[in-house]
Amino acid sequence: MTEPIVRVERLTKVFRSYRREEGLRAALKSLVRRKSSEVAAVADVTFTIGRGEMVGYIGANGAGKSTTIKMLTGILTPTSGDVVGNGFVPWRDRTRYVATIGVVFGQRTQLWWDIAVVESFRLLKEIYGLSEAEYRERMALFDKVLGLGAYLHQPVRKLSLGERMRCDLAASLLHRPPLLFLDEPTIGLDIVAKANVREFLEEINRQEGTTVLLTTHDLADIETLCRRVIVIDHGKLLFDGALDELRDRILPITSIVFDVKRAPDARDLEWNGRPIREVGLHRYRLDLDRREAAPATAVKEIVNRFDVSDLKIEEPEIEAVVKRIYQEGIS
Amino acid sequence: MSAVRGEGTPWRAALPFARIGFLNMLAFRARYYVGVLTYLFNVAVYYFIWRAVFRQGGSVAGMTLEDMVTYVAVGWAIRSFYFNEIDRELGTQVQEGKLAMNLIRPVDFQTVMIADAAGQSAFRAVLFTIPIAIVLALVFPLKPPASPLAALLFLVSATLSFFLVAALNFLVGLVAIRSKSILGILRAKYLVFELLSGLLIPTTLFPQPLRSILFASPFPHINFTPAALYLGQAAGTRALGLLALQAGWTAGLLALGQYAWRRSRRRITIQGG
Repeated sequence: MTEPIVRVERLTKVFRSYRREEGLRAALKSLVRRKSSEVAAVADVTFTIGRGEMVGYIGANGAGKSTTIKMLTGILTPTSGDVVGNGFVPWRDRTRYVATIGVVFGQRTQLWWDIAVVESFRLLKEIYGLSEAEYRERMALFDKVLGLGAYLHQPVRKLSLGERMRCDLAASLLHRPPLLFLDEPTIGLDIVAKANVREFLEEINRQEGTTVLLTTHDLADIETLCRRVIVIDHGKLLFDGALDELRDRILPITSIVFDVKRAPDARDLEWNGRPIREVGLHRYRLDLDRREAAPATAVKEIVNRFDVSDLKIEEPEIEAVVKRIYQEGIS
Repeated sequence: MSAVRGEGTPWRAALPFARIGFLNMLAFRARYYVGVLTYLFNVAVYYFIWRAVFRQGGSVAGMTLEDMVTYVAVGWAIRSFYFNEIDRELGTQVQEGKLAMNLIRPVDFQTVMIADAAGQSAFRAVLFTIPIAIVLALVFPLKPPASPLAALLFLVSATLSFFLVAALNFLVGLVAIRSKSILGILRAKYLVFELLSGLLIPTTLFPQPLRSILFASPFPHINFTPAALYLGQAAGTRALGLLALQAGWTAGLLALGQYAWRRSRRRITIQGG
């Protein structure tokens, strides 16, 4: 890994929640003493992010993704643990720190609702203390890559979600932050808009070396953008590593599906201790564990053994991998 | 070019927030034409009450009817300027989770809130306070400022009132972070502020020892102090002393707001998301 830009160590956030009980008596009692319970939204999470990396941070609803992002952006103060981002402790040096980061919350906009988009950008220019030249150069880039020019003079409330998201992305990158946090940047967008957002992020990452940490429910985001994923569940870090490695660990099954011209001999329907099943007319499938045998070896053998007219290799979908994690965790 | 902005230069970075406050007010201007009538009505009510009190002539606590009506009118006029809803705004931001959007900007939070309110007050001063003052001066027999110096002191004091109210409202708003529901507190606050600030009754009319207690609190400086300076009830060193006291309370409460904000931040839970 390159030089770390974010270091997270044993990060923990405990929320105290008050339980509402039914009935008048309980309501009166709660005036004096409320029953509270503590929930660790994030528990003992440790990881580092290298400069220029794009890392996907995934987990089910309520897994603690947003809470982590909020601590990493200086919004929340952790119960315990350490974070250093861009050399700052986010919640302690908040104002200086956030001048060096960009943040997008997909569910909200940081732009001012009732005024024209360009006014919001002008204000951000002032807030970040950009010169006119820097500002113009930046806006020209955003217009080229995101096509911002078309709706710069509309108020935010009149924009579609996709347009708004482009504006928010541009706003978060106006001051050229080396570090960008995105909390569900593609939520609610249509396919075209999602593709736009992904292309833009790739471009920024390549051109400016921007480090990106993003949470998402859309695994296509991860597949196109992130080589590395961090999986969190019930506040705990479950997995941190390459996307391929995650796939190998959770669903190490590769399927080889092939069609034959002539019905095969029943004795041949087995390879390396695994059955070859008939799954359709003249169609067979071998599910093999990548840890036991390389798919290429199996393919070679199949082609030798049968009169194959067509063949394809199916990798498990990342969706299936994540569904499995959400349901069962990582063993 | 990493533009690092710390607490060192807040006011330059704060100006855009004031501009936003001003721009946002433009969207709601219709509300203010109605507002002028509301203020006129309020002053009218107190005018008739005081006229009844002064029926036999004479003076109350050294104030004639004309003094009293001027006091009331000046009070309401500056209220239209110093008024802000930082507390409600803070409460809403906590409730709707919008607070996060202010925390990702490299400007001190208290500065953002007060700058935004300052933009709104600048708007009010032009489109609200001045029309109200003109209407009131036409309808009621008002006195001009006691002297040019009194007028100047009054303007300084009214500006300080804005910051004093802003500092107090910021503190009230911080309660929202703890309670997560603020409406009851706000309702109580308006009553307390209007009574203790000297808006409804000049603070000098309160009986002892309540009067002394009040003058040891920041509240009379919201309304009584600027109005008294306008009328020339305090002049010379006494006027300056009053102004210094007002400035001291303002600075102190702003500092307390900073401290309380830092303490509250630890317990912020941004709702939603």
